Amino acid sequence: MASEDEEFTMLFQDFYPSLCRFLECLLGGRAPLAQDLAQESFLQLHRTAWGTLPLGEARFWLYRVARNLAINEFRKSNTRYRLFDRVVEAMRPAARNPEQEYETRERKQLVLEMLQSLPEDQRTALLLREQEQLSYREIGEVMKVSESKVKVDIFRARASLRERWNKRAKTVGASVG
Amino acid sequence: MSCSFTEKVSLLIDGELGPQEVREVERHLLSCVECEQLRADFLNLRSEIVGFESSLEPLVQNRELKKILSRGERRAVVRWGWSTPAIAFASLLIVGAIIGFIRYQISTPQDPKHTAVVQTPIQTPEQTPEPTPEPTPTPETPKRANPPAQQKKPIIRDPKPGEQFAAVRPAPTPEEPMRSADSETLTAIHFEKAETLLRAFRNVRLNEPGTRAEVAYERKRARQLVYQNMILRREADIAGDVQIASLLENLEPILLDIANLPDKPASDDVRVIRERVERKNIVALLQVNSTVLARALD
Repeated sequence: MASEDEEFTMLFQDFYPSLCRFLECLLGGRAPLAQDLAQESFLQLHRTAWGTLPLGEARFWLYRVARNLAINEFRKSNTRYRLFDRVVEAMRPAARNPEQEYETRERKQLVLEMLQSLPEDQRTALLLREQEQLSYREIGEVMKVSESKVKVDIFRARASLRERWNKRAKTVGASVG
Repeated sequence: MSCSFTEKVSLLIDGELGPQEVREVERHLLSCVECEQLRADFLNLRSEIVGFESSLEPLVQNRELKKILSRGERRAVVRWGWSTPAIAFASLLIVGAIIGFIRYQISTPQDPKHTAVVQTPIQTPEQTPEPTPEPTPTPETPKRANPPAQQKKPIIRDPKPGEQFAAVRPAPTPEEPMRSADSETLTAIHFEKAETLLRAFRNVRLNEPGTRAEVAYERKRARQLVYQNMILRREADIAGDVQIASLLENLEPILLDIANLPDKPASDDVRVIRERVERKNIVALLQVNSTVLARALD
């Protein structure tokens, strides 16, 4: 039992932060909700699959469950941005370096907005590839789709983001000029 | 993007091409400005997405891990301990039934000359007519939608010679479920024990000699109290005693957390439990409730 908990703790320490980041990007920000869903995913793993699942599979299992939870959340509250999230964000302690913090926030916001413009499956595939560095086969395993679909989704996501990025750069350049 | 290599550029930066294809695409990149720009843009996008910083704080992470592990352990304990409270509860029911039967036997009149039964009508509060003076009913009085059911008249007759009747008790009225005095006594004692345990746990000094033995002792006591707590909580739930049930419900996770502490608990583990005890003000609640119960029993 103790060694199982130790293994679980190691898995948690390794993947909880990246799962939070993945969910935060998938949900378009909403860090508190992302943390809740990451916790729920780990809790489900601990309750149901831990001990029966091969250790190598646990990571994919986690991302699959986390994604499903996020999709449920889209369905539940697609149009409303939870008041609680806003309150938490407003109550976040002030930055040590306001300028730097402002820049980081702006950049984060930009990435999130661009990601939000993608369909959910493209967004998931791209995030799993770029942030989690999963192979196409592994992404297919998480998303329960074929490798060729993953390949197409990632390419389309990149092409779409590139187009938006270039458009934005032109707009910013024009306004500066 | 008119070039036919664009999709392969995406595969190239993901390392999803075979060695021969890699060479082919890289050769193409040397001659195609459009694809070279595409690769640069894709890599820029990658660095933007990878550079996204999560808002997660390390403290939150540790707290979440503890929550998950403690919930898992709690479930394990409950599953393991399920049969024990079930058996104990069943035993209590049997004992209660025996006591009830004995009381029934004692309260039954033993006089053989007991000859008649007068069964009085049971008047529940709804059926009791208000003593308000009513005007004499006239034939025009409108009928009620649901006229009250007429009560059966009690059968009153003289006993026949030598006839004996069984003692017929009035039909039981639908009363509020009540907790027995025994159960309340047990609850009061349980509250006192839990209060003592929590006070002692609050005073455990970590990093001092003898701490381990002290924690082991508190853990053992907590384990004993957990089962009693489950039984009493269930009884209180059944009896509809919301206040006691709620207090027992709040107490249970704390007892479980103490019972599941490791041999050498980290100071953080102990601190988290203590904080919860403080936050829920559970010691004071236990004290008040045990006093109230004890007074009621006096």
